[in-house]
Amino acid sequence: MALCTWNGERWIRPFLESLAGQHHLPDELVVQDDDSSDDTVALVRALAPTLPFEVRLEVNSRRVGSTANFGLALERCRGRFVALADQDDVWYPEKLSRLVHEFERDPILTLVFSDADLIGEDGRSLDRGLWDTRQVGRTLRRRPIVAEELAATTALTTGCTVMMRRRVVDAALPFPGELEHPVAPMRHDRWLTLIAAAVGTVEAVPERLLGFRVHGTQETGVLVGADLPRAVASGVGATLRSGDGRRADGLRARAEQLEVAAERAELLGDFGEARTLRRVAGDHRRRARIDEPGRGRLRLVVDGVRTHAYRLDGWGLGAAMLDVARAVLPRAAAGRSAGA
Amino acid sequence: MPERTNVLVVNDSMNLGGAERVAVDIANSLDRDRFGVTFCSTRSGGPLVDVLAPDVAHVSLGRTATWDLRKVLTFRQLVRDREIDLIHSHGRGTMKFIALSRVLGAVDLPHVFHDHFGWLHVNRSAPRSLREAVQRGVDDYLGVDQRLCDWAVAAAGLPAERVHLVRSGVDVDRFTDVEPLDLRREFGLPDDTVVFVMVANFRPQKDHPTLFRALATLSEAERARCSVVVVGSTTADPEYFAGCSSMAADLGVDELLTIAGPRDDLPEVLRGADAGLVTSKNETGPLVVLEYMASALPFVATDTGEITRQVRGTGVGWTPAPRDAHEVGDAIRELLDLSPDERRAVGARGRAAVEATYDQRIVTATIESIYDRMLERVLTPDGVGKST
Repeated sequence: MALCTWNGERWIRPFLESLAGQHHLPDELVVQDDDSSDDTVALVRALAPTLPFEVRLEVNSRRVGSTANFGLALERCRGRFVALADQDDVWYPEKLSRLVHEFERDPILTLVFSDADLIGEDGRSLDRGLWDTRQVGRTLRRRPIVAEELAATTALTTGCTVMMRRRVVDAALPFPGELEHPVAPMRHDRWLTLIAAAVGTVEAVPERLLGFRVHGTQETGVLVGADLPRAVASGVGATLRSGDGRRADGLRARAEQLEVAAERAELLGDFGEARTLRRVAGDHRRRARIDEPGRGRLRLVVDGVRTHAYRLDGWGLGAAMLDVARAVLPRAAAGRSAGA
Repeated sequence: MPERTNVLVVNDSMNLGGAERVAVDIANSLDRDRFGVTFCSTRSGGPLVDVLAPDVAHVSLGRTATWDLRKVLTFRQLVRDREIDLIHSHGRGTMKFIALSRVLGAVDLPHVFHDHFGWLHVNRSAPRSLREAVQRGVDDYLGVDQRLCDWAVAAAGLPAERVHLVRSGVDVDRFTDVEPLDLRREFGLPDDTVVFVMVANFRPQKDHPTLFRALATLSEAERARCSVVVVGSTTADPEYFAGCSSMAADLGVDELLTIAGPRDDLPEVLRGADAGLVTSKNETGPLVVLEYMASALPFVATDTGEITRQVRGTGVGWTPAPRDAHEVGDAIRELLDLSPDERRAVGARGRAAVEATYDQRIVTATIESIYDRMLERVLTPDGVGKST
């Protein structure tokens, strides 16, 4: 198991206790602390001897951020199956055994991930599931095997719900520099899922196997209540106000990330999967060009509809409509997009 | 002599393939005292027509689409002419065609659908059209893999009591008393190597790259003791074949490989080998493992389907995780380290297992008992008459 910690003294004890209560205990817990300034490291050191599995702690000399930190942790993991963990969650006792069972039941699976209960800072249930906060939750329940195109276009997984086979880790490491793009960073969990779908099969398990804590200091949160429609409206607005080229930059960055994933897939001989990733990357580049001034922008949207490219977008035809709006809106300037 | 039940075995085509081979083997091995057999390919014929037993009539409909209404009428006529009592379909496209025929009233016969769907690694959903076809057009479901049976109940909505796990079998006689082909002489292989045969058309699902990466993990000394003959079509997916060729060269393992192309003397080729290999990403069988076992070959087969799941840990071969070159490499290494006598002992265990469990006659007997139960359900209360 790979656990990344940073200033988590408030949560780390209940998390480790929930880990000790697993029906299927991990063989090892690799803890990578990202230079915490609180008592997290001291707590891990104090609790480690009381835990029924080996704990291997390493502390970074300077903060590297959560994605790079998970990269460091994964490099030290030795297990056949590797699960990711966040310091602030509470795992239900059956979590590891349930996910291991999926792998043992079906050897073709390379990554499995579950749903989670949302819990508050005090640990009380918020009466919602993690997948309920995502547009894609309904799709995952209906189609548990994740299509490669879906993994390429959508952030599907939250790290703490994930377990993967060793070969996903081998194919995903080292994390490429493209993940840290300032406009469109790709988090470790999305990268791992992307690679897992390209070099294997990803399955969504609809059971809620942990309590996912929602609190103000977490690095990756979820949108609940009124925040969700507000974020959607804000996203639509940002899409239409894309004259500064940020959106195009983001699309190009995503295309580069997908192309790196395609190279990794090709190295393993997954040629068809690599072609799929390059096709999606090409579509991102097409959509980025819609933001550039000049003629033919509407034509780019028509091309996308004609080649069914919008099927890959979580918004479907809604995305095409937004692109039409962007294509017909006047562009002040090429903005930064040309230099991306 | 009691009246025979006329069974119509239906599939898409008679091209060489695992599912097609299963359909033919069942048609050939049904008890002729009890069953008359007609074979119908709804799309096209193919080389397997020649493998059908002489008393099995073959008809090709030339269907060009799932919902080919003209061919529904042709199919109805075939069912009437041959006085069919029960339809046994293979493949989802064929099943949908028969479901359509039933919904349109063209046929009204018990229908058992034999599912070999091999794309579980990318798709386990049941779209509405498929669900409706299964629910309205299928009486009993035979899955060659437990995952398919789970799908039939959970996703397609069939009652569990009408879903049956029927593992594929192999025609053991085909692999009995076969004169081995001298592969070393045939392909110019060194005398002191262990000759592996991998029967796998060059298609992405067969995942030859995992084999190449596995071979690349072998030491120089191990490579010197290893030859791999790949049997199967190289033209099914030229782009994939080109990628594989280039990868094998890049990894420096091409000199271990002999690409033999398709062969029509498979039993002789297998008898002449020292071991079998298959590194598929996903298969619901794979049937070729049974052919290796029937040929008394030890094997390395990625653990993708029902057959590898059943033989896992029984000492008849190695079943590493699919797409895992290191596990496959380790398995090849272990097999290379066996003495000829040890290899033969593993192969003999496989042959015994096939004879005891996977002989086509045993599998067919299971299918016949399912037919019997289906026919009992449609018999009129006085126990006479056919369903039409």
